[in-house]
Amino acid sequence: MLKIIIKKEFLSSVRDVRLQVSAAILLSLMITAVLVGKEGQRQIQKQREAAQSAMYDQWLNQGNKHPHSAAHFGQFAFKPKPILSFLDVGLDHYTGVSVFLEAHKQNEVLFSGAQDSNGMTRFGELTGALIFQLLLPLLIIFLAFNTFTKEREEGTLKMIHAQGLSMRTLLMGKVWGIYLMVLLLFIPIIFLAYLLLDRQSSSLDTEVTVKFLSLTGLYSLYFLLFVMMAVLISGFSKNSGFSLLTLLGIWIVACIILPKATTNFAGKLYPTPSQFEFRQAIKEKVKNGIDGHNPSDARLATLKQQVLDEYGVSTVEELPVNWGGIAMQAGEEYTDDVYDQEFSKIEQIFKQQNRLSEWMGFIDPYLAIRHLSMGLAGTDFNHHVLFARKAENYRRAFVKKMNKDMELNHKPGVAYADYNADKDMWAQVEPFEYHLPDTVSILRDQWRGMAALAFWLIILLIISVKYSNRISGL
Amino acid sequence: MKKLLHIFQFEWMALRRSNTLKILLLVTLGAGIYGIYFGKFEIDKQNTRITHVQQHEIQQFDSLLHWATLDTTLVRNKEKFERALSPVGVGWNKHFTYYLANDPSPLAGLCLGQRDLFPSYYGFDVSSLHKQIYVGELANPMKLLTGNFDLSYVYVFLLPLLIVALFYNLYAAEKEGGTLLLLQSQPVPLFFTLASRGFLRFAVVIVLATLLLILAFLLQGISFTSHMGLFMQWLLLIYGYCFLWALIMAGIVWLRKSAALSAMMGLGVWLILTLITPAMLNLFVLADQPLPKRSEVIHSIRALNDRNWKSPKSFVFDQFYPEHPQYKQGDTTDFHKWYYASFTLLDNQAKTLNEQFEEQVVASNKLLNQWQWLAPAAAVHERLSSMAQTDRNSHLAFLQKVESFHQGLKDVYYPRIFANEAFDYDDLQELRSRLNL
Repeated sequence: MLKIIIKKEFLSSVRDVRLQVSAAILLSLMITAVLVGKEGQRQIQKQREAAQSAMYDQWLNQGNKHPHSAAHFGQFAFKPKPILSFLDVGLDHYTGVSVFLEAHKQNEVLFSGAQDSNGMTRFGELTGALIFQLLLPLLIIFLAFNTFTKEREEGTLKMIHAQGLSMRTLLMGKVWGIYLMVLLLFIPIIFLAYLLLDRQSSSLDTEVTVKFLSLTGLYSLYFLLFVMMAVLISGFSKNSGFSLLTLLGIWIVACIILPKATTNFAGKLYPTPSQFEFRQAIKEKVKNGIDGHNPSDARLATLKQQVLDEYGVSTVEELPVNWGGIAMQAGEEYTDDVYDQEFSKIEQIFKQQNRLSEWMGFIDPYLAIRHLSMGLAGTDFNHHVLFARKAENYRRAFVKKMNKDMELNHKPGVAYADYNADKDMWAQVEPFEYHLPDTVSILRDQWRGMAALAFWLIILLIISVKYSNRISGL
Repeated sequence: MKKLLHIFQFEWMALRRSNTLKILLLVTLGAGIYGIYFGKFEIDKQNTRITHVQQHEIQQFDSLLHWATLDTTLVRNKEKFERALSPVGVGWNKHFTYYLANDPSPLAGLCLGQRDLFPSYYGFDVSSLHKQIYVGELANPMKLLTGNFDLSYVYVFLLPLLIVALFYNLYAAEKEGGTLLLLQSQPVPLFFTLASRGFLRFAVVIVLATLLLILAFLLQGISFTSHMGLFMQWLLLIYGYCFLWALIMAGIVWLRKSAALSAMMGLGVWLILTLITPAMLNLFVLADQPLPKRSEVIHSIRALNDRNWKSPKSFVFDQFYPEHPQYKQGDTTDFHKWYYASFTLLDNQAKTLNEQFEEQVVASNKLLNQWQWLAPAAAVHERLSSMAQTDRNSHLAFLQKVESFHQGLKDVYYPRIFANEAFDYDDLQELRSRLNL
């Protein structure tokens, strides 16, 4: 019996001209989004790879100079464009692209795309994610809003009911029939995207296939939730008009209004300090010590005494090593600590802000899938922080290397301009490399979103199983 | 005329009794008020930050002024005194960091536009400007992506939805409610009845839109008298935008489809015009004309900086003195002169490169603008944003101001630096007077 209902639902939606038209529009949008998005992602990644290696070449061929001058010359880290970002660009236009790595200073990741384009960018880019998250649910609503009410209005529901078919079976049949139709649209696109995945360039992301499959699975679940909800609302509605208005209302609130309101509200709840306050705090702590009672000149004097004692000499000039290099590295490390403290505060605030909308996933599944999708595509805030941290660690390592060389090889009494290191020294610094985190750690980060989707599935299942027989057969 | 009034009267009665309508209007009004409040909150935050920075700046400068009057016979005062009056400074010890704020325009709170993408103030000293203005404001990218729930958002996105909701069943409700035949048997043409009813509904939207703007001015404390022009411009633009949506919906009603199908079509057009076309345009324009690469700008400036440091001092002076003969004193070895001269070279180079970069940005944005008519929502939003002076161009204009302020500083510092002179108290007073710009 169930099979017959599924077949009926499926066939009647396939044969509906209006749905044929909207499905065709959606399908062509999806194909465009996937193909053009992939091309864009490929180009950008190529650009960044080229820039990254050009910058490393500059580093290698900077000529002979003092290692500290080389540390000032610095390096650049470019953020690679994740392979799956063609399905979900996420925050990519709003986070910076490159960071200058130099001595003494932690720079920000700068030059976001949004700053270089006009207001249109704020309207978003047509990607798979936009279509899957916003448009497909809308299509589901159009497919399902009158699945019960139409039969009710035309009197066929009574007949089915009279034949002794339980409402639960009918509901299940309708859910599966419509879901099949949705998958019929979704699977070819996913297959197309799958073919486009370049698994060759796997050095950036070794688990791209796993992430892609998880993404597919989660989206399939998301669609199922919408199908179940739409069919249920249709079942409990008196007429098609009411059912459609309710569903459209839910869609507008869940997909348009609530995401914006939540993020804006989170910004109010956990206010972000200004750049000025942030820099001021760092400056203050570097100058007066993290606890406020350890000024920089006192720190330096203590260190000096330690070094002098260690080598058993009484003045800096008698040291067999370069005091400037030691002092510089110590200053560097102290600044690093201060910076880490201050930066993790900011990071914490942003995470708190984002967590609010992750929790909101329990009310609005759109928010849940949005975070999950960005996470798996490698375009969310966590990935940005990870990149920034990787770049910062790289900076610390190479600056340390320069300071160490100065400490050991720049003999006291030799003028700054007279001690030069060469290409062999520069080549000891490996080029910057960044790999995306693995699937398990991403999903562990995103447990709220998954829990929210599971929560929705359970609630809808309970309603379907326990209350479906209350759907009026009249 | 009498018929028209008659229709209005009954339509009004019907509207007043409709709970759906009340809810819709209340929701839109609520969203509008939230938007007004949110815009005010954001702008107040920016204003507080600006005041905070300016207070810090004035306080710092006043202590500089105080240091300049210290008794230098005492050893502990000597360092401060010299610090206050020395125009040359290296690394962290530069003379003074000046802050220039981009004060929000009066209407900025109605349309926050691109302001959240850019810092609302820059801090810089007399050394190379471009090295100091590549800073971002701390902002959660998630928030930037989601955008602001300000009044312009309500106008551009939510008002059309309200129009769709008010218009979609203008014809279908009569048909599905069984009153269509009754209506057609009246001596008044059906078109006339429907058109006048549509007109009344449109009037409701217009009244709501006007009310929201008046509320926005009142709640944000914007003066009507001094910004009447902007007020009228906003209203006219919004009226025009609403009219466009009413026309679209009239077209859909004209097709005489069922209520459900009309609602779907209305929402479909809404989706296409507010979401899909801007997104498609972005996709195609970015694929066709990718944004120029910042990396090339950074790359060549760094190369120049490196060359300045590696070459003998004459490398800088040989370029600097011919362009600035007023500073030429024949000195080609002084570190400070070389240091500051090299900043000017760096800035000149950066300026040329940035102009080239900006030209490319303009070209790619021009392509977007050419097709903007396909995305009326984006076009209206951009227009509202430019009226509120929160668009990208307003920020570029602010950067111009930063540049000329910086040039003004150089006009005070450089003569002293190149004459090997310290500041005197009057110089500091003069610099102090620049702070309250």
